Amino acid sequence: MKTVMARLAKRLVAGVIMILVVASFTFLLVRLMPGNPVEAKYQSLLLNGLTPVQAMDEVRVMYGFIPHQSLWIQYLHYLGQILHLNLGQSISYEGTPVMRIILGAAPWTIILVLTGTVASFIVGILAGVIAAIRRNSPVGSAITISGSVLHGIPLFVMALFLAYVFTTIWAVLPFGAPYNAALTPGFNGPFISSLARHALLPVFTYALASYGGWLLTMKSSVISVLGDDFILASEVRGLKTSTRVGYIAHNAILPLFTILALSLGFMFGGSLFIEDIFDYPGLGNLLVNAINNRDYPLMSGAFLLITVAVIASNIITDFLYSVVDPRIRR
Amino acid sequence: MSMRLPKTVLHNRSANPNFRQSFWGFAWRTIVKKPGRLIGFAIIVLFALMGIFGPYLYPAQLPINPNAIYAPISWQYPLGTDFEGTSNLALVVTGARYVLFAAAMGAVFTVVFGTILGLCAGYFIGLTDSVIMRITDFILTIPSFPLLVVLSTVWNFGQPVAMGFVLGITGWGGLARAVRSQTMSLRERGFIEAARGLGLSPLYILFREILPNVGSYIAMNLLLAVTGSIYAEVGLFFLGVVPFQVNNWGVMLNLAVFSAGAMSSPQALPYLLSPMLAILILTLGIVLFLDALDEMFNPRLREV
Repeated sequence: MKTVMARLAKRLVAGVIMILVVASFTFLLVRLMPGNPVEAKYQSLLLNGLTPVQAMDEVRVMYGFIPHQSLWIQYLHYLGQILHLNLGQSISYEGTPVMRIILGAAPWTIILVLTGTVASFIVGILAGVIAAIRRNSPVGSAITISGSVLHGIPLFVMALFLAYVFTTIWAVLPFGAPYNAALTPGFNGPFISSLARHALLPVFTYALASYGGWLLTMKSSVISVLGDDFILASEVRGLKTSTRVGYIAHNAILPLFTILALSLGFMFGGSLFIEDIFDYPGLGNLLVNAINNRDYPLMSGAFLLITVAVIASNIITDFLYSVVDPRIRR
Repeated sequence: MSMRLPKTVLHNRSANPNFRQSFWGFAWRTIVKKPGRLIGFAIIVLFALMGIFGPYLYPAQLPINPNAIYAPISWQYPLGTDFEGTSNLALVVTGARYVLFAAAMGAVFTVVFGTILGLCAGYFIGLTDSVIMRITDFILTIPSFPLLVVLSTVWNFGQPVAMGFVLGITGWGGLARAVRSQTMSLRERGFIEAARGLGLSPLYILFREILPNVGSYIAMNLLLAVTGSIYAEVGLFFLGVVPFQVNNWGVMLNLAVFSAGAMSSPQALPYLLSPMLAILILTLGIVLFLDALDEMFNPRLREV
């Protein structure tokens, strides 16, 4: 267990460094942007009749740094604000703290991404095992083809297609908004079922988009495990087929945990499309709208939080991996 | 490589039994071996021609027709028309150049960065390796599509090369890691040790001894990077975060969904479906062509 903890601590330090680098990147991006939005805001506030001191304060609250200081001082100030979990104020939401906006949006994205990933992981892995074991039968090849086809379709094409089929042609599922606005949010039956109905289509899109990848990887992993000596040994010993499939699956699933970490980044990236197409109020939607409204503090905040989510989920998958794979613990 | 073969050899190919020397002839025979590969190859060539010559087939300003707004599919408009009555086929054909050129550039940059860094990390193990791998892990962890979206605020994506460069910068991580692990196993093999013993320079060993052995993997990744780049750039235009400068498939998708309301009005549907169809057909072509490429560049498969 000690090595697992050391590994975890190492990953945590690496994660914090990565978050710092990304924060510096967004700082430089906004600061060095052509037309310098910070300076432009300051000038427009001056034109609106504020005194230079008031304008300076306003800009500092909004972006977390002051335009006329040296880059280095601005940078330190900005990092200090981030350590206090202050990401400045939004422009398009009229002075609401960015932190409050992104924390309001984050749960929707995280719920969708996690449900979609878990669903596709489970279904894809089961289908992958079947496709590998029955690889010479029509069932196996049908499953494999379904995986290759779904793997090849771009996410936004899939999302548009599903949105078109299920909200326009055969309007059985609701579109936009995470729940029916007429219901009071809370832990009650109608609200939860409305929540689930609204989330169904986006989650399904996430799941379909990554199902193919899991299936194909799991299939090749299972096939490579099938050739191992211990499988032959268990066959010779006359173990039940179900027991043997269990052994195979347990060994074949291990390499997939490393891919799980990578796929989470892909899923959070996909939230930009899915939330935009289904008009779902999560982080991806927020990021796209922030850019369209030239709301740079909100853009930096949303991007930073997406990165933090990906890094955190990477650390969690790595931890899970070291728990599942006994070889790492040694 | 025998690419600059004298013309006479190509000319006398029926007379020359030792035809294997010619790479292009070999490539062609690999393609015709299976009908799927031929279809894939035909699709790729068709799209490449579309990207090169497409814009010359139509006037610079595509004709609009106020009487045929959202016209249904007909002989005059094989893919229907858009909100101004412009033929969707013309839009797809003229829009191909930006999309395909940027995707090709993106794939080239991805492969160049990924291959060079992967080879160096795998061959010069030690400090070089750990520095390069730190950067690779970083690139792999940062969600690349949101990064592209954020970069679109400062970077001018109007030029296909600029788009391709950024796609390459954000996309080389996976390839570098795979090339590194292959290089690591190759560097312990006998022929590399022999080359080292002969005192050949590391550059020679990397690019003349190791590179051909990972060539098929890289060639397949080049094609996969093309599809990845197409999805990413079309996605950027689709979301509307990049200012529209030229017509392309992503712009069409964006206008169809967010301006024309193709999701709720069936008459605008052809406008939405035509760029999607182009993307899907091209993806199909690339997937079909992949295994031909494997055979072409894999020296072990070629000997058989």
